Amino acid sequence: MQDKREFSWSVIFIWVALFSVGLIAIYSATQGPVSQFLPSFILENFFRQSLWISISLVVLIVIQFIPPRTFQEGAYLFYIISIILMIITLFFGAEVSGSRSWLRIGPMNFQTGEITKIATLLAAASYLTNRRDISSENLKTALVTVLIFAIPAILLVMQNEAGVAIVYLGILPVVLFWSGLPYGISALMVSPAFIAYFTILDWRLGIIAALIATLVIFLLQRRVWLTVTSFVFGALVIIGAEVALNQVLQPHQRARIESFANPSLDPLGAGWNVLQAKTAIGSGGFQGKGFMEGTQTQLRFLPEQWTDFIFCVVGEEFGFLGASTLIILFSLLFLKLLSMAASHKHPFAQLMIVSVTFLYFTHFIINIGSATALLPIIGIPLPFISYGGSAFLTNTILLAICLNLDYNKRSLSIYR
Amino acid sequence: MSNEQRSKSSIRVLQVIIIGGLLIMLGRIFHLQILDYETYSPLSMQNSLRMEVVNPARGLIYDRHGTIIVENQPIYTIIITPSLLDLENLSLLADLLQLDEEIVYNRILEAQEYSWQRTSRLFTEVSFEVFSNIQENLWQLPGIGHIIESKRNYPSNILASHINGYLSEANREEYLRSDHLRLGDKIGRSGLEMIYEDYIRGEKGTSYISVNAFGQALGSYDNGSLNVTPTKGADLITTLDADLQALAEILMENKQGGLVAIDPHTGGILSIVSAPQFDLHKLAGRMDQSYWQELNSNPNTPLYNRAISSRQPPGSTFKPFMGLVGLHLGLVTPEWELYNPGYYVRGRRYNDLADPGNYNLHKSIQKSSNTYFFWMMERIASRGLLNRWSSMIKDFGMGPISQVDLPFERAGIVPDSTYMNNTFGERRWGLGDLISLGVGQGMVSVSPLQMAVATASLANGGYRIQPHVVSAIRHADGEIQYTNPEINKIEWIQPDHLEIIKEAMKAALLDGGSNYYGAIPGIEIAGKTGTAQNPQGESHGWFIAFAPADDPQIAVAVLMENSGFGSVSATPIASLLIEQYLTGTTTRQHIYNHVINFLPEHGTSE
Repeated sequence: MQDKREFSWSVIFIWVALFSVGLIAIYSATQGPVSQFLPSFILENFFRQSLWISISLVVLIVIQFIPPRTFQEGAYLFYIISIILMIITLFFGAEVSGSRSWLRIGPMNFQTGEITKIATLLAAASYLTNRRDISSENLKTALVTVLIFAIPAILLVMQNEAGVAIVYLGILPVVLFWSGLPYGISALMVSPAFIAYFTILDWRLGIIAALIATLVIFLLQRRVWLTVTSFVFGALVIIGAEVALNQVLQPHQRARIESFANPSLDPLGAGWNVLQAKTAIGSGGFQGKGFMEGTQTQLRFLPEQWTDFIFCVVGEEFGFLGASTLIILFSLLFLKLLSMAASHKHPFAQLMIVSVTFLYFTHFIINIGSATALLPIIGIPLPFISYGGSAFLTNTILLAICLNLDYNKRSLSIYR
Repeated sequence: MSNEQRSKSSIRVLQVIIIGGLLIMLGRIFHLQILDYETYSPLSMQNSLRMEVVNPARGLIYDRHGTIIVENQPIYTIIITPSLLDLENLSLLADLLQLDEEIVYNRILEAQEYSWQRTSRLFTEVSFEVFSNIQENLWQLPGIGHIIESKRNYPSNILASHINGYLSEANREEYLRSDHLRLGDKIGRSGLEMIYEDYIRGEKGTSYISVNAFGQALGSYDNGSLNVTPTKGADLITTLDADLQALAEILMENKQGGLVAIDPHTGGILSIVSAPQFDLHKLAGRMDQSYWQELNSNPNTPLYNRAISSRQPPGSTFKPFMGLVGLHLGLVTPEWELYNPGYYVRGRRYNDLADPGNYNLHKSIQKSSNTYFFWMMERIASRGLLNRWSSMIKDFGMGPISQVDLPFERAGIVPDSTYMNNTFGERRWGLGDLISLGVGQGMVSVSPLQMAVATASLANGGYRIQPHVVSAIRHADGEIQYTNPEINKIEWIQPDHLEIIKEAMKAALLDGGSNYYGAIPGIEIAGKTGTAQNPQGESHGWFIAFAPADDPQIAVAVLMENSGFGSVSATPIASLLIEQYLTGTTTRQHIYNHVINFLPEHGTSE
């Protein structure tokens, strides 16, 4: 064992800070004056979360004693097992509020999709570590990587957890980019998300986004075929988005998607949530209304305020001071992890740490983006903050793996 | 590009992405929390605050002894805001309301049609059980609310429908014009409720209430520091005697007509009944629409207040007043006699049903002989005293409206030359149109209230009283405002003349039918019957009286439509009322039964 001072205590500090903010927010959102309007099982959330944090702490410590090579070597087996578990869940899982994503084993309930996150990241990192020649000429490796992500993503969609599947779409380009996918193609991979986003706002903005994307890709990689592909792709995304919005989706579904930009389209459905969320955050002002004093939170105007909309609780009760502190804490975590990856010599560890970072980052952007009406409402939790045992444990395990790999960076052979 | 270089540049790109994300999110919350704070802060206040108008309690109405006649009763109302309602809860809602889903659904559709956003009443006057069921389950019923309202209740055994009056919702024009009325507010439409509306309405308060996303009220905001408490409406203390009114209502059941009993010294109305009455209970709260339709289409017009709006010739009850005028004008002396052959002839023959013989004033009133008064009226007309006569009769309170504190009073007619000219044309009228005025027939017409006021002036020694129902208004702060109506001496009435008339009216009660139906053992009554000719059918019976004759406490005028002679129909009612008022009870069961079983010919010519 090495000097314990080389352990990244700062990451642990941020982890403790984040779950403390989470516990405070969950406490306010479920134990405050609002508790009288909540069903009893929600009231237990604070205690359950505390319990899960304790369990996670133990797991985090235990993982530090696992030989670092185990993660890479066991990755495929773990991946296959977790995919099988997801398939089992699809057929035999318990249905909770419309999603069949929970597997019940004895007294334990867990979301198999969460375990699959760990497995998928490990598997992708492991696969890419052994193939370092991703290039625009040889896209086979990239396609296999896409497949590694696509299988769990499709299973998640089948489990009715499309929101979680989107996270994979967020990590995939980063992982490929890190593994050497050329800048231009990487940009091409992320461009549809931006083009679609601006198309939802306004199709003219979509066209502008597509043109800018094409220009950027051309500047990054002066290949005619890529530029043309990018342009055609962009146009297809715009047309597809417009057709989906106007032809395929029912008006109320369309309203649900568009309501983040214009809540009045669906004022009592998704628009209501958007409006209440914005009102909660906005009315927090600079200092916030105070712990358990937020009217939007305590009077139950916020939907899912202990999970998907927990950022609103922080924003309302602790104001700009609290919310910006939280955002900066997250950013410090991300930047710290990135520097870990940068200082590491082993590509598996680098890839793993980068993909974990961007798994958190995707959650962070989508969750806070939804709560602040920058993005359509996609119900995914804020890592370490939102209530949810499986997710907390999963995120902690991923963090623990990163810490393990970082701590053992010298013992990992630089030979691959 | 080496792997090393690529790795370094990739890290840069990813760092830029993360810092970009950080800046976007910080910028976003800065925008929402700092720049748009002024937009969202009031929004969250509005969200969690609801300003409710607190309706004041409407003032109560009491009788002269402090018996409550009109009070308020809480009613439970379930309200709905259609936009917040989740129709998935329909079956739960129907269950709690103990109604069929279909009925509830139809009501919801109605409410949606009225307004999606505005709250309206889903069901009013639900039982307390339903109310508390809903209250307990409000949290799972977004869009549903509950309020306690009040409706008028009439706890005593009297209806007094024409006195109290009913309430109904203010119409669009009314609530738009007024700054104290809102949609759904009720205002007095008749009776005291209408006349004293501004007093008994009270002043609305406001209350700020914290609410949650389901619209559930959570208690007052900021300990109620912003609340304005409503001011209770003023109570009305009336001059009514509830026991007397109760008896009068029983006696007038199944009849048509009006009666007024009045305190001759103050003008306070002791009892006022217009028959048929209507049932205020059915118009309070949720108005019984079929009953309302029936009231409006009923040919006997129950909503019409006959006691103050009916216009009928006073018939022979007019004679005592003619006597006072004749004495004062010097047309007759108490001793002067006139022979009655059974008729009076001037241009045509006027019948006199009294036995032929010599009649002085006393006897003419006692026996209700017409000849004497035909003669007197001819003198008045031929000496050009018509206008003088008219103004003297009006001094008694006949003719112009009395300005009693009840709505829809109608003036009677006491003709003068202007009136005759207007009616018949200049110089197109003559003696023949005037002679029957002497016996209270022809053009002259009065309401029971006017006759009661006139009778009171005989009883109180020649004072014109102002009839009124409300003697005092008790404001919410305890201050009592007395109405203090004026009492004016009728200057020309001489006490010795009045004495002659009173003696004659006392004697009239000792005679024939009036004696049987009118006399009360131990109480001396002064009274006069009358019969108003009704061109459409059976005559209307009149009776005026005051008692005790030498120390009058009560003056009564009774008009019974289509009931023939007043002595049979109107006299016993007045007599029973006087006995009730003076002794607190009625002893003559046979008279009581006679009145109860007396059936006038209803309707008009048919």
